[in-house]
Amino acid sequence: MSGVGGRGPLLALAGLPGMGPARLGALLARWPAAEAWEFVRGGDLPGDAGVSDHLVASWRAAAAAVDVEALVAAHRAAGIEVVAATDDAFPAPLRDDPEPPAVLFVRGRLDALTARRVAVVGTRRCTWSGRLVARDLGRDLAAAGVCVLSGLALGIDGEAHQGALDGHGGPVGVVGTGLDVVYPRRHAALWERVASAGALVSEYPLGTTPERWRFPARNRLLAALAEAVVVVESGSRGGSMHTVDAALERDRPVLAVPGPVRSAASAGTNGLLAAGCPPCRDAADVLVALGLTTPHPSSSPDAGDGAAAPAPADAEDALVLDALGWEPATLDELAERLGVPLGPLAVRLTRLAGGGWLVQRAGWWERAR
Amino acid sequence: MLATIPSATLLGAEGRPVTVEVHHANGMPGFTVVGLPDAACREARDRVKAAMQTCSLPWPTRKITVNLAPSAVRKSGAGLDLAIAVGVLVAGQELLPDVVAGMAFLGELGLDGSVRRVPGVVPLVAAMALGPVTTVVVPAGCGPEARLVAPGEVREAGDLKTLAAALRGEEPWPDPSPDPPAEPPGGGRDLAEVRGQAVARLALEVAAAGGHHLLLAGPPGAGKTLLAQCLPGLLPDLDDRDALEATCVHSAAGMPLPRGGLIRRPPYRAPHQFASGVSLLGGSAHLRPGEASLAHGGVLFLDELGEFPVHVLDALRQPLEEGRIRVARARAVVEFPARFLLVAAMNPCPCGRAARPGACTCTDAERHRYAKRLSGPLLDRIDLRVDVPRPDVEHLLAGPPGESSAAVAARVASARGAARRRRVRCNAELPASSLDDVAPIRGAAALLFEDALRAGSLSARGLHRSRRVARTLADLREPDAPVTEEDICLALQLRAEPDLLRAAA
Repeated sequence: MSGVGGRGPLLALAGLPGMGPARLGALLARWPAAEAWEFVRGGDLPGDAGVSDHLVASWRAAAAAVDVEALVAAHRAAGIEVVAATDDAFPAPLRDDPEPPAVLFVRGRLDALTARRVAVVGTRRCTWSGRLVARDLGRDLAAAGVCVLSGLALGIDGEAHQGALDGHGGPVGVVGTGLDVVYPRRHAALWERVASAGALVSEYPLGTTPERWRFPARNRLLAALAEAVVVVESGSRGGSMHTVDAALERDRPVLAVPGPVRSAASAGTNGLLAAGCPPCRDAADVLVALGLTTPHPSSSPDAGDGAAAPAPADAEDALVLDALGWEPATLDELAERLGVPLGPLAVRLTRLAGGGWLVQRAGWWERAR
Repeated sequence: MLATIPSATLLGAEGRPVTVEVHHANGMPGFTVVGLPDAACREARDRVKAAMQTCSLPWPTRKITVNLAPSAVRKSGAGLDLAIAVGVLVAGQELLPDVVAGMAFLGELGLDGSVRRVPGVVPLVAAMALGPVTTVVVPAGCGPEARLVAPGEVREAGDLKTLAAALRGEEPWPDPSPDPPAEPPGGGRDLAEVRGQAVARLALEVAAAGGHHLLLAGPPGAGKTLLAQCLPGLLPDLDDRDALEATCVHSAAGMPLPRGGLIRRPPYRAPHQFASGVSLLGGSAHLRPGEASLAHGGVLFLDELGEFPVHVLDALRQPLEEGRIRVARARAVVEFPARFLLVAAMNPCPCGRAARPGACTCTDAERHRYAKRLSGPLLDRIDLRVDVPRPDVEHLLAGPPGESSAAVAARVASARGAARRRRVRCNAELPASSLDDVAPIRGAAALLFEDALRAGSLSARGLHRSRRVARTLADLREPDAPVTEEDICLALQLRAEPDLLRAAA
């Protein structure tokens, strides 16, 4: 695997319209990329290749406009490596996958994937406590030498990557766009940091824009690359549940972080627990699931019941935190639970927020530590 | 022969005095109306002629010219019919000029001679009062509203025949309609009906006391409309000037007036989200006042704010800034009063399910589109933004009833008194320059603002607005009490930005 030199035909084939992993895989299994490309360009793909005449014609038209050298140059300039399923560098876990990608585009260190790998995923609409859990998991797993995979989406995914970076790990972002199309835009900085510390992986050629239907495929790739999947928060439907389904199809263990039973953001994870998934309370639970016997010191299961839970010095502040718990609540609800007027409570909450105990988002107060 | 009769025509919500001149000349018999009449006004010709004939009044077989002066002002509607008819009688020497001296006439004629009501009696009579008029004759039943502004005596006319007889002195004037007893207080909804919702109740109270515009964000069924309907009941009675302006607007729009004629209680208007710009702001060919003007002195409730067309919402900025709406047309520019308390309601997101973090099923793009529909400059003028969550079931069934509107209205009234001592109508109108004097912030309270400004959750404009809200909160505790840390914390809480708005920013 040495950059993109000599990979021109492969890049050109991957960028053809209607070229999915199955078709590309079938072509590459039969001919070397350069040979297949010549067939496509000439429009004389053998009839037994299983490609319709219509598609052959459209490929031929598209191929006429492709400048192979320019494609190679573009990938080289963007620092992107191309790995075909037939290469030695192709990640081992994908080799016997039921739906393997035919080609992977990689930015960063592909060898990050040789470590133990855990996907930490969850919803974009997460609670603050979910964010904290994702970040802690990412950090502690990375510190334990585990490669944290996620999808670089807003919410839990981003926090998991951020945590892994905090833990000096090499996180891997599996994305559903071309590696030059940063999505979501808000994560542009995180995207760069993940690429330089770990790797970004995509099965789509440069320039591929985000499309709804590509994300389930991305989730399949994420589940296939991981040895275990941890769902931090998820509604009862959504992308994280696709990842879970894909992981279960591949016999990968799925762990779910328990959440408050009334929290909509934990409906999916609590459902998984009810269906028999092992719970994930911290990184140690994940390490046990991986069969690693090196539990991280700060997250050993018997760290004490609540002894580690911090509490503010002021007794009344502690009462407010107790009344809030780990579920978001409005000012209304808190005033009612505590039986105090709004004014003094607002002062107390503001002070607690100033001290980093609480955060307020869109009218909801949530505990931050 | 010439007769000159004072009357008035309506332009927007204001009356303009009109002199009806009637001239009888020798020549080919005919009847012409000149002086920029609109279609309804020009048709007076046929109504007047038919009405006089059915009332057995002689129709002169001469060349009759009616001039409506000043001729530069467009005359609209049928309110000049009666003045034209009286003018024809005087010019034809059926009536002596002396008996109509100092009298002004207003009313539409039916073909049977009956005198019908016209919209805008209050502003029309007010305009007549500008001239040398001692008696105003209005359609039967319009006496009470006319008396609100009439310069002297008000007489009512039921039909042309009786009127002519009364003018000749052959019959007494019909008895004027008595002033009906004032409307019993009440109407609207009572705050006692609202269970729980402590923050939203506080926001309503602050909105009423300080004149701060309010945005309620909450899922369907949270009670946003009920809260808005409670607001007029918290506001004090309109003062004389506002009451008259509001009455003029309602009268000009042909809306029913309360018993007693004068609108004393703040009106409540809730235009539908498909309302056009004209229906909301006024205008159209007839220069009719819009919903924003009908809400003058009261509450304009815009439910589903996100569903209103953006250009309509943007147009609300003028009344929000100036309290008036100027409608410019090729022929005239009219001004409508429109100083209202804006209450807007919206769902937190298109699916309306963002009751709790994590419950929403909207995609980012959907939320972004929804947020983009809200006019940023309009949101900027809204001081109070609160989330209204759906109330707990226990609250609805077993919760104690909330404080009644009357108790809250008393606090509102004393807070408004404090604002008047600061020479503003309400704290929302406090100039930024005076805030350091009337709402000084020191010590811990100042730090709060500093933190919020640093964190970017508060803009410079937002700072002033929050200080005004804090002033109102302090006034509600005790008029003129110093602004404390508590007031500022609450003021910042009452500005909590719905998630969506942040996405829009």
